[in-house]
Parts: sequence; C-alpha cells; structure tokens
Amino acid sequence: MTRPRIGYAGMTHLGLCSAIVAASKGFVTLGFDPDCGLVRKLEAGELPVVEPGLDDLLQEHRSRMTFSASPAQLRECDLVYVAPDVPTDNIGASDLTSVDRLLQLVLAQTRPDAIVVVLSQVPPGFTRARRQDGRLYYQVETLIFGRAVERATQPERFIVGVPDSSQPLPPALKTFLEAFGCPILPMRFESAELTKISINCCLVASVTVTNTLAELCERIGADWSEMAPALKLDRRIGTYSYLTPGLGLAGGNLERDLATVIRFSEEFGTDAGLIKAFVANSLHRKDWAIRTLHETLLWKAPQAIIGILGLAYKENTHSIKGSPSLALIQQLAPWPIRVYDPVVPASAAAHPAVTGAKSVLEAARGVDAVAIMTPWPEFRGVLCTELAAAMRGRLVLDPFRVLDPATARAAGLIYRTLGVE
Amino acid sequence: MLTHLNAAPANPKRVVVIGAGGFVGSAIVAELGRAGVATLPLTRKEADLLAANGAEQVKAQLSPDDSVVFVSAIAPAKSVAQFMANLRMAEAATAAFAETPPAHLLYISSDAIYADEANPVTERSPVAPSTIHGMMHASRELIFRTEFHGPFVALRPTLIYGAGDPHSGYGPNRFRRQAAKGEPITIFGEGEEKRDHVAVEDVARLAVRILRHGSTGALNTVTGVATSFHDIAKLVAAQYDPPAEVKSLPRPGPRPHLLHRFFDITDCYKSFPDFHFEPLAQGLARVHRELSRV
Repeated sequence: MTRPRIGYAGMTHLGLCSAIVAASKGFVTLGFDPDCGLVRKLEAGELPVVEPGLDDLLQEHRSRMTFSASPAQLRECDLVYVAPDVPTDNIGASDLTSVDRLLQLVLAQTRPDAIVVVLSQVPPGFTRARRQDGRLYYQVETLIFGRAVERATQPERFIVGVPDSSQPLPPALKTFLEAFGCPILPMRFESAELTKISINCCLVASVTVTNTLAELCERIGADWSEMAPALKLDRRIGTYSYLTPGLGLAGGNLERDLATVIRFSEEFGTDAGLIKAFVANSLHRKDWAIRTLHETLLWKAPQAIIGILGLAYKENTHSIKGSPSLALIQQLAPWPIRVYDPVVPASAAAHPAVTGAKSVLEAARGVDAVAIMTPWPEFRGVLCTELAAAMRGRLVLDPFRVLDPATARAAGLIYRTLGVE
Repeated sequence: MLTHLNAAPANPKRVVVIGAGGFVGSAIVAELGRAGVATLPLTRKEADLLAANGAEQVKAQLSPDDSVVFVSAIAPAKSVAQFMANLRMAEAATAAFAETPPAHLLYISSDAIYADEANPVTERSPVAPSTIHGMMHASRELIFRTEFHGPFVALRPTLIYGAGDPHSGYGPNRFRRQAAKGEPITIFGEGEEKRDHVAVEDVARLAVRILRHGSTGALNTVTGVATSFHDIAKLVAAQYDPPAEVKSLPRPGPRPHLLHRFFDITDCYKSFPDFHFEPLAQGLARVHRELSRV
C-alpha cells in the first residue's frame, strides 16, 4: 500500500511526541486536538512538553506535519491514533471519560475505511467493549518521560491488540509499523492491554527490590552502588534492569497499573498481596527525605532553613505529578525553604515561606541543609566546595547520588544518599 | 496521618479527662494545665464506669462543647474478666456520649493492637492483636468509632515510662526500682529484644496538640528509636554510684517471637512537623533527677 496518512488525536505528551516521530519516519501526519489555543501554539512551534531532541525533530520534519483543531481534517487520515491523557486520582484509579469522548469523536469523523487505534493506556476489556464496527485496534504505548523521542523512534517492539491474532493486520497499520523495523506482536485485545500493565509490574518489582535492599544497606554497612553492577551482569536480571534506588514510584503511570491490578484482583478474586506490598514500599521510601531531615537536623534545629534542588518528578521533564520533591516540601511548612528547578517554577511549591532561586548556589545560600530531589544533569556540575561555602549548615541529602559522595564528604559536607549508611 | 479540623491550634472550651487518676491521665491533666486549657479531671470517684449507672454518672459531668479524653482502663488487661470489664467501661461511655456528644473524642489506645509481625509498624499496619490487652484496645477503638459519630482520634502509645509509673513491668521502671534498692538489674537472656519506649510527658504533649488541633484519625505515640533491654538496663545502671550490676537471668520460657519492634514515625512528622520526642537516654536521666529530688 502507498504510505498511509497518519493522524494523532490528542496533542498530549504521548500524542505529540508520537506524531512528530511519525512525521520523522516519512509519513504525512496530522496532529489534532480540540483545544484551539494549544493548536495555535503548536503551529507556532511552541511545544508544551520538555523532551530532549523533540523541538529539533519537529523543525526537521515540519513539512510533513500539520496541526489542526478541526475534526473534519481527520477524514484525510488512513490511520488515526487516539492518545489523550487518562487522568488518575491519588490512588491511581483511571478516569476514562476523556479517552471515551475523544474516541467517539474520532470514530464519528474518520472515514469508514480508516483504522483507529487506541494508544492511551486503558484497562483490560476497554477496547473490545468499544469495538462496534471492526476498525478499532489497541497499541501499547511505551513512552518514558525524558526519553520519549528515543523510545518512539527506536521502539523495542510493537504490541498490538487485535480482535483475532490469526488474521493479518490492516494494511495501513502494517505499513506504518513496519517502517520502524522492529518486531510486531499482534495479540488479543485483553492480552495487549494486560501486557502493558505486566511490563510496568515487572519494572516496579525491580524498583521495589532495589529500594527494599537499599534501605537494608543503609543500616548494615553495605553499599547498593557496589552491588547493583554485579546484579546487572547476571543474565537473568540484565543490564537494563531498574536497579537504581529511588524515592518510591512517581509520575502516575506505574501507580495506575498497580491500582488496576488491585482493582481487577478484587473483582475476580485473585491474589494481589505482592502488588499491595509494592504500593506500601513506595509510600515508605517516598518519605526517606523527610525522615532523614528530622532524624539528622530538624529535631535539634527549629530555626533551620532548607534548600530544595529540583521540583520535577524526575530529570528532563516539566511534569510534577507524584513528585517526591513536592511531597517533601508539603511537610516542611514550619521551616523556610529556598528552591531551584531548571524548568519548573518555584510557584509549583505550595509552601508558606518559599523563596525561588535562579541557580543551585543561590538556592543553597545560607541554608542548613540541601535536598537534591530531582537528578537534573546540571546539578552534577555543582562543585561541592562551592556548595559548602554557600551553605550555613553541612547537611546534604542526595538520594540519587548526583554528587560524588567522596568529594562531598571531602568538602566537609554531611552527605546522605540512598543505599549506603 | 491525622487530619486537623483546626488548621491553627486553639484551646478547646473544656477538656474532660475520663481516667484522670491514672499514670497517663494525670500526665495529660498536668499538660492541659500548662497549656491553660480548662480541664475537668474525672477519676473513678467522680464517674465509676463499672457502676450500674456508670453512663449516667459520666453524662452528668458532660457539657455539649466538651472535648473528651478517654484514658480509663484496667491495664494491662490480662484476663477475660478484665477484658470484659474494659469493654463495659467503653459501653458506658458511649451511652453517655450518645446523650451528650462531645465536640471531640480522644481515645488513648495502645500499639498492642498491631500484629506482632508488623515491622516497621505504621498507622496502616494490620490491626491483629496477639494479646487480650491488645484486643481490648482494638475493640474499644472499634466501639468508639462505631458508636460515636463526631470527630474521633486514637492515640496509640508504645511502652511508656515516667516517674509516676505505678507498674513494675519489664523495662525502665522495673530496672530503676531494682537499682534504687541496691539490687542487680535483671534482664532475661541477653536482653537483646529491641523496643521503643516513650516518656509519659511526650504522650501528654501529643494529646494536647491533638486536642488543640481537633485532630481525627490515628497516631502511634512512639519515638521511632528501638533500644534493647540490655542497653536500657545499662543506661539505668549508670545513673547510680556505684553503677548497678546488670545481671542476666535465664528466660522463663522460649525467647519471644517478637524479638524486635520498630516503628516508622513519618505520620507523626507529617501531623506535627515541629514536634520531636525526648530521646530515651535524656528521658531516663530526667526521670532519675526527678525521683532523686523526691
């Protein structure tokens, strides 16, 4: 078949990144969103998300990319992905209203022969329940915030939910996916929907094992950073496994999948004790910084001032959903704080006495403790001697080891990190 | 984590302390006095919860705007009879509260309500007591939660020490009494079991904060630091001149299943960020000074 025209409905982080990558693969692509204001900004080249390489990729392939708020434009497309955000509440339960609304609009506005693919993350059973006329499919999204372009241009595989895996994929979908040169795994809808959840559960398992043992390291004199490379060389565990200690789960997607498994296990009577343990461990580790601050400083320093470096939930993103930094700030109301994040403004910090800073050293000026809550690359360039000179106190909480522990200690800092005493 | 109905702390109109004559109750009354809170202390003399008309006796003392601290208990409850008596006391109180509902109810419970294997214990650990005493507190919490429909909070202290402790349970109070009499401090085995111990004054300070904030929910009253009985014995022994001997005794039975118990006190940090517990060594030294002055 000739190259299909591709459409993406919902210019979200997922939809926008995926659309630009589709254009970069040589497909004429429409980025549709009912929000006229958003579309105007996109037309002007103003991207609402921070992703390494995304702006350049759009500029390079701008000629094949159209943005529109007009649903009628969808009739030109042979293949339309539906990719709105699926909001979650504070326990990770999905609100499917937005995906349903946009899906209905796309089904109504596309040609009867156009293929429609749900790309947003939906629970098992979602796609089959909405498949009325045989042209609806589901595809697992593999977006990683901060690595969206890399993941979308070089996917490991495509997982496609289909009504009958013995039948060939529709030509438009097949042609598009084959352009990426990776394995394509068609499977029944429910399998595909559950595969996405299963991938995330496996990631969470690695994260939770790491966090559990890293905490033990902190008490018994072991150092997780010495141990993790040994684990990665074990083929059963693997080089790319998630073995870096962290402050629990954040971002909302992993939490959503755990909540979905728990909800389904309650509905169908299966055991989800392990998944509940993941959730509990995440909540426990998320509070590492507040516990450490109290145990090492706050109990004896009622007048302390705290510097916070990083507000985003992780580096290279503007997203603050589930951010450990904001969770910490919420618990520091009695103490003045100074904050700096390269992307997120200080106004994101809900705190009665917050001062925004324009640099790391400005945030550290005169504080008794610094907590490096997001591992932004620019923080790695900070000289420990300058940090020590700017601070009034000595305590540095560096859960992600942005600084070199030995250098920090040599600079006279009292250095605390995850995975070591 | 607690929910504070009063974002800014404010003294309640009056606090009625049911069980004001006991070790914990009297400490709460004293702390309320220091905070300038109008207080009505009730002992068994003023309101006997086990009397046939116990509910009427309590009701006669209550006004509609009162906050109530319920700390009255036959503790530790070791027998079925004591268990049942404690439940009857709660039954009488709830009957009185049904007639004159308090503005805020604080129940002094216990960490014994948690399962032995919960470690580290948080306020979300399963309530699965292994003792009659723990089941008594769990039952009373349930009774109050079910029957009282106003703002309710449970404070769950761990092992409490203080100068006024009338009990001589295994731990700081017994060790101090042994040393004061010139006897060796006796520990079972090597005294390796680690437990959290909290000063009664800290229990009272937290209780008053809860009352002033109108807090609801549940909060463990623990320091977050577990110390072995061996180390506690050594701390107490060192307070005497010459230092008391610490003597190991064979265990009367097998080593306890619950060897160590740790608590994660993050909820306390979040509920009262500027509250900090007195470290055990400091608290034991203070108690020693207080008793030396007597």
